[in-house]
Amino acid sequence: MKRFFDAELETFRSDLLRMGEVAVRQVRDALQALVTGDIKLAEQVIAADDELDELEKRIDTEAIRYMNLRSPIATELRLVIVGMKASHDLERVGDEATSIAKRAIRLAAEPPLKPYVDIPRMTNTAIEMLCAALDCFIHADNEKAIAVVKRDKEVDAINKQLYRELSSYMVEQPGTITRALELMFISKSVERIADHATNIAEEMVFLSDAQDIRHDEALKKAGKAG
Amino acid sequence: MDSTATASVPRSRPLATPPASSAGAERGATLIDIKDLDFYYGAKQALFDINLQIPDKRVTAFIGPSGCGKSTLLRCLNRMNDLIDGTSVKRGAIKIRNVDIYGRDVDPIELRKRVGMVFQKSNPFPKSIYENITYGLRIQGVKNKTRLDEVVEKSLRGAALWDEVKDRLHESGLGLSGGQQQRLCIARTIAVEPEVILMDEPCSALDPIATAKVEELIHELKKQFTIIIVTHSMQQAARCSDQTAFFYMGKLIEFDATHNIFMNPKNPQTEAYVSGRFG
Amino acid sequence: MSSPLPDSANPFAPRPTPARRLEGAVSWIFRIATYFVLACGLSIFATIFWKGSATVFRAEFPFVNTAFFTQAPETLYVFEWQGEKREMGDKEFRVFREAEAAKAAAEGRPAPVIRADSYAHSAGGIFPNVVGTVLLVVGSMTIALTLGVCAAIYLSEYARDTAAVRLIRLAILNLAGVPSIVFGLFGFGMFVIFFDWNVSLLAGWFTLAFMVLPVIITASEESLKAVPKGFREGSLALGATKWQTIRKNVLPYALPGILTSSILGIARVAGETAPIMFTAAFVISDRLPWQVEKFSDMFFQGVMALPYHIYVVSSKIPQNEYTERMQYGTAFVFLFTVGLIALTSILLRNKLRGRYKW
Repeated sequence: MKRFFDAELETFRSDLLRMGEVAVRQVRDALQALVTGDIKLAEQVIAADDELDELEKRIDTEAIRYMNLRSPIATELRLVIVGMKASHDLERVGDEATSIAKRAIRLAAEPPLKPYVDIPRMTNTAIEMLCAALDCFIHADNEKAIAVVKRDKEVDAINKQLYRELSSYMVEQPGTITRALELMFISKSVERIADHATNIAEEMVFLSDAQDIRHDEALKKAGKAG
Repeated sequence: MDSTATASVPRSRPLATPPASSAGAERGATLIDIKDLDFYYGAKQALFDINLQIPDKRVTAFIGPSGCGKSTLLRCLNRMNDLIDGTSVKRGAIKIRNVDIYGRDVDPIELRKRVGMVFQKSNPFPKSIYENITYGLRIQGVKNKTRLDEVVEKSLRGAALWDEVKDRLHESGLGLSGGQQQRLCIARTIAVEPEVILMDEPCSALDPIATAKVEELIHELKKQFTIIIVTHSMQQAARCSDQTAFFYMGKLIEFDATHNIFMNPKNPQTEAYVSGRFG
Repeated sequence: MSSPLPDSANPFAPRPTPARRLEGAVSWIFRIATYFVLACGLSIFATIFWKGSATVFRAEFPFVNTAFFTQAPETLYVFEWQGEKREMGDKEFRVFREAEAAKAAAEGRPAPVIRADSYAHSAGGIFPNVVGTVLLVVGSMTIALTLGVCAAIYLSEYARDTAAVRLIRLAILNLAGVPSIVFGLFGFGMFVIFFDWNVSLLAGWFTLAFMVLPVIITASEESLKAVPKGFREGSLALGATKWQTIRKNVLPYALPGILTSSILGIARVAGETAPIMFTAAFVISDRLPWQVEKFSDMFFQGVMALPYHIYVVSSKIPQNEYTERMQYGTAFVFLFTVGLIALTSILLRNKLRGRYKW
C-alpha cells in the first residue's frame, strides 16, 4: 500500500544520492586540482563544500522529522538511520576534499616534490570505494559492499608506504619538509575518505540486512589475505 | 538469539540478541509447543499448519490484520473456542508442559485455571472489587476469610491497583475507570495463580495513560507469568514483547525475536504489515 | 452550496419545504393517536373507579366496606316489609324469615308470606374470589417460573443452535399466540379428564402455567441473552464450570428481566377467565379453600376467582341497580389487585436492577 508520506522518503533518498554525487565530484576535483595545480578548480572545491553542509543539515532535519512523525519501522527505520549516518560520512568526505584542495593551492606555488603517482592511485581507489558504496545504496548488494570494506586495506597500505617515503625525504632534504608534510596530510585525508567509504559500505549492509559488520575481525583478516 | 524463535530460519546470524536470556534456568525454555495445528470453525479452516514454541516467563506478541487467526489461536490455548459450536482441532496438537491440552484426559476447567485470560473489553463482574478478585477462588471452594483477604491484597498489588482501590474494596468494580477495570481483570486473573496469561487486545479500549500502566504491568508480570498478548498496536508489541509472531490468513508468517521482527523482518508481508503498508 | 450568499443572509433560516410541512402534520397525527388511546384508557378506569368505589368505600370509619372484603357472595333479597323496602343477604334473610315465622307462630298467626325479589351474587362480598385468585396466581406462577426459567436457561446457555432447537423456539413463540380458551380446553381434556383431577386448583395451576410459559420462556431467554457475553467468558476463563457461571454470574443479572416478564405473566394469569372456566373455577363455593378435611384435598377442589366472578356477575345475571354494585365493585378490586402485584414486581425489579448495573 502506498502511503501519503512515501514522497518524503523519496526526497530523503534523492538528497542522500545527491550528496554522494557531490562528495565524489569534490574528491575527484580536488585530486585534479592537486595534480594539475589548478588553483581555480581548487577554489571551486572549497566553495562547493557549503552545498554538502546544507544537504547534511537537510537530511538530518528530514530524518528527525520522519522518525518523530511517521514512526518508521524495519526497512524505513534502517533507511532513516543509515541516511543520517551516511550523510555525516559524506559531509566528512567533503571536508577532507576541501582540505586537499587547500593544500593543492599551497603546493601549486612550489615545484612538485615528485611525480604524482601514489596519491592519484590511492585517491582513485578511494573514489571507486565511495562509488561502489553509493551503488549499494541503489542496488542492495552485500557482496559489493563487503568488497569495499576489504579494499580499505589497500588504501591504508599506500598511505603507510607514502608516510615512510615522505619521512625519508624530510630526513634527507630538510628543504622539502613543508611540501612533504602537505603531501603527508593529503595522503592522510585520502585514507580518511576511504575510511568514510568503508563506513558507508558497512551502513549499506545494515540497510539491506540489519547486520552490523563493523569491527568484524573475520572480515578484516579476509581483507589482509585479499 | 532464542532457540525458540525458529519459525523462519534467519538468513544470517542476527547480532542483536534480546536481553534477559541469562535469568533462571526455566526462563525461556519452551512452555507451550504448538505443532502442525489445523483449526476449523465448522467447515471453515481458520488456522493452517501452525508451528510455534512459546517460551516460559516471556511476553509473546501475536500481531496481524483482523481475521488473521491470532485471536483464534490465543483462544485455542485455554480452549475458550470450545464454547463456540462446531470448532475443532483437525490436526496437530498444542502441548503445555508436554501435555496435549486437547487430549482426552484434559478437563478444560482445570486448563483454564492454569491458563488465564484477559479480554479486549474489560469485563469486571458487576460485583464489588473484593468479590471480583475472590471469584476464582470461591468457585474453587475457598472460604477462609483470611486467605481470601490475603489473595485480594496480593493480587491487587500485583496488578498495581492496590493503592488506588484499597479503601473501596467493597464498592462495585464497575465504578472504576476503564484502565482500572482492565487492571482489576488482570488482578482477578492472577488471583487464581495461573502459569500463562492470555491477553486479547487488552488495551484497545484504553487511553494512552491507562495503556502505559497496563504495559508497565505486563513488564512486571512476566517475571512470574508467561504472557501472550494479541495486539493491533505495533508500538505495543514492540514495547512489551520479547518475541513476536505475525499471522496472516490463518497462517503463521513469521516468528522471531521482537527486535528482529521490527528491525529486519524476513518476510515481505511482515515488513509491509509492521511498517503500516499492508494491503 | 455553490451559489454564494450575501453576507447578511441567514443560511439557516427555515424554508417551507414539503418535508417541513409533512413533519408538522405527522407529529400531530401521532400526538392525536396517543391522546385518543389515553382518553379511552382513562375513561374505562374512571368508570370502574367511580362506580366501583361506591361499593368498596364507605363514608364513615373504617372507610372501606369490610363486609365486601370478608364475606362470600350471596343472593340479595329485596322485599317490602311493613311499608318499608328492605334489602337483605341470603343468610340475613333466612334468619329474618325464621324469626318472623317464629314470632307469628307465637302470636298464633300463620307464617307471613314474604314476596321478595332475589338477585343472585348481589349481596355479601368477594373474599373467596380474592383468595382463589391469589392461590391461582401464586401456584401457577411458581410452576411457570420454575419450568420457564429452566427451559430458558437450557435454550440460551446449554442448547446448541440446531434445527431441533430452532423448532422448539418457533413452537414456543407460536404457543404465545394461542387463544386462552384453547388452553382452557386443553387443561380440561388433560388435567380434568385424563388425569382425573376434576375441576381443581391443581388443574387450574397447570393450565394457567402452560398459558404463560411461552411468555416467560421467551422473555427469560431474552434477559439471559442480554447479560453481556464478557461475564460468561470472564467467569469461564477463571476456571468456573458452566453451571457455576450461570448460577453466580448470569442468572443474578438476568433476574430483573425475568421478573419483568413475570409481571406480564402475573397480570395474565390473574386476569384470564377462559383457562380456568373449565378447569378450576366454581361459580359458588360454600367453603374457603382451606376448609378441607385433609391437606391434600385443598389442591383437588375448585375455587372461586375474581375474573370468573366478573364474568358470572356481568353476563349470567340480569343487569339492574342491585347487581351493578357487585359488578363494578369486583372489577375495581380486581384492577386494584393486579395493579398492586405489578407494582410490587416493578419495585422488586428496580431494587435488583440497582444492585447489578453494568
